[in-house]
Amino acid sequence: MARRFRLVLIALIGVLYLISIPWYREAGEAPAIWLGLPDWVAVALGCYLAAAALNAVAWLITDLPDEDPPSDPTGDGASR
Amino acid sequence: MNLGEIGLWALGAYTLILMGVAEVARRARTDLTPSDHFLAGRHLGVFVLFLTLYATTYSGNSLLGYPGEAYRRGYSWIMATGFMISIIVTFHALVPRLRPLAVRERFVSPGDWVSFRFGAEPAGPALRVAIGGLMGLALANFLLAQLIAMGHVTSQVTEGAVPYWGGVVGMAAMILLYETLGGMRAVAWTDAAQGVLMLLGLGALLAWLLGEAGGLTEVTRQVSALRPEVVAVPDLEERANWVSTILLLGLASVVYPQAIQRVYAARSGRALKRAFALMTFMPFTTTLVVTLIGLAAIPRLEGLGEIQADTVMPRLLGEWAASGALNAMLAAVVFIGALAAIMSTADSVLLSLGAVVAVDLLGRNREDPATTKLGKRIAALVMLAAVVTALWPAVTLWRLIELKMELLIQCVPAFLLALHWRRLRAMPCLVGVVVGTLIAGGAALAGVKRIEGIHVGVIGLAANLAAVAAVEWAQGRGASESAEDMRLGRSR
Repeated sequence: MARRFRLVLIALIGVLYLISIPWYREAGEAPAIWLGLPDWVAVALGCYLAAAALNAVAWLITDLPDEDPPSDPTGDGASR
Repeated sequence: MNLGEIGLWALGAYTLILMGVAEVARRARTDLTPSDHFLAGRHLGVFVLFLTLYATTYSGNSLLGYPGEAYRRGYSWIMATGFMISIIVTFHALVPRLRPLAVRERFVSPGDWVSFRFGAEPAGPALRVAIGGLMGLALANFLLAQLIAMGHVTSQVTEGAVPYWGGVVGMAAMILLYETLGGMRAVAWTDAAQGVLMLLGLGALLAWLLGEAGGLTEVTRQVSALRPEVVAVPDLEERANWVSTILLLGLASVVYPQAIQRVYAARSGRALKRAFALMTFMPFTTTLVVTLIGLAAIPRLEGLGEIQADTVMPRLLGEWAASGALNAMLAAVVFIGALAAIMSTADSVLLSLGAVVAVDLLGRNREDPATTKLGKRIAALVMLAAVVTALWPAVTLWRLIELKMELLIQCVPAFLLALHWRRLRAMPCLVGVVVGTLIAGGAALAGVKRIEGIHVGVIGLAANLAAVAAVEWAQGRGASESAEDMRLGRSR
């Protein structure tokens, strides 16, 4: 369950990264100023802030055991 | 007392403290094994781990290269905040699988993973050498960038009392001495202190800059009046470059040898994941701050050239110090923080370089104390070569970062893909690394940086992955045809 939730969070982060780039605007257009920044920069920053928050949650719910894992990282012994 | 004098005093005090830390770390070591020297006996807890990851990630590149790039490119450099977060996101693909293995198998260098995963195959040793070679080159480049940054900062803040070459040579000698004495323990402890200094200093500098300019809105208005093209919505090529830069940095940074070694060095998985959860917010306190500092410099320091833009930060420190006695003291703190950040990255790079060359390239025993000694000697030789090259800087700091990443990103399939694709074999990986490196390296040598905004390293990675898939498919097909022949032979 936690693993699936973590994957959903990572997928959402991917979407935020796509939105952070101003594809939706005309190149060369003069921007309005929001929070002291050009509007497209403020949007990018908002996306990155949300991505960071989701990523922090994803790390906190990550299962990172210290005990021995199975003998092969990929599960079938093919690597040894 | 002016900035030059304060800078000299601060520099003297800082080097004395460094030597003290190195001596304490030397006494704290438990043995002479590579594991103790290169990984601090694998005992880094969450606080030190977080600060050492922080101080290592945010280097001279961040402090000089990023404000310089923001000055050159303008507001689209907000992408830097994005790519720094993307690194911590990409670690999700590496750490949960690599860390438990590293603990069990007692990995010391990045190549230990390659040996473990592919060592039993005929192409395994060649792949380990190829990866070790790329990592060694990238680390040497990284070291060079730190030395150039050290020279700029030292000469600017001591107002020429310590010349550029003196800063490069003197600080290089200092790093070599304390890394050799104290190993990862000294590096991590000083990283922790340096991380705190850097955070405080950068915040104070930005507050002063914005206060002087009348606030962020006023800075944006002034930049818009001077260079409207860097405030306007970027064109398609710049947006493609935005994507490419996030891919380049996000993917290549997770195979930084020194980052991988910190994954190995963590005391526990719990400490590691907490450190990463904290790290994900650090771009807002560092990358964003230095980006805004670079933008605020556009109206303050008009007309700087391509290479000169890398000196934006020390120039601003000089102006800040000249504005009053208290500010001069604060500027000295930032100076020490900046120098400390640069040195902390350089020492981490040096430490990793020793391990990569001795263990991965030369195949020395990772449990043998003689390997530690050899690693230190190799590090000293590479440092010497880097010092000589740094005395005549020919490219911008950002270009050095790009070059390093374009090489490192070719190692990604051997780590990220190999951890998740159980059938992946050594030969396809090796062919991929060679193809990707030839494309990225060849284009860089021919002076081609990007094609339609996409880095040649990213294009090289695409070719690398295509080669991996093609050779894997061909090998799989060959294997199934042989099996079929055998089956038919038996049936006859």
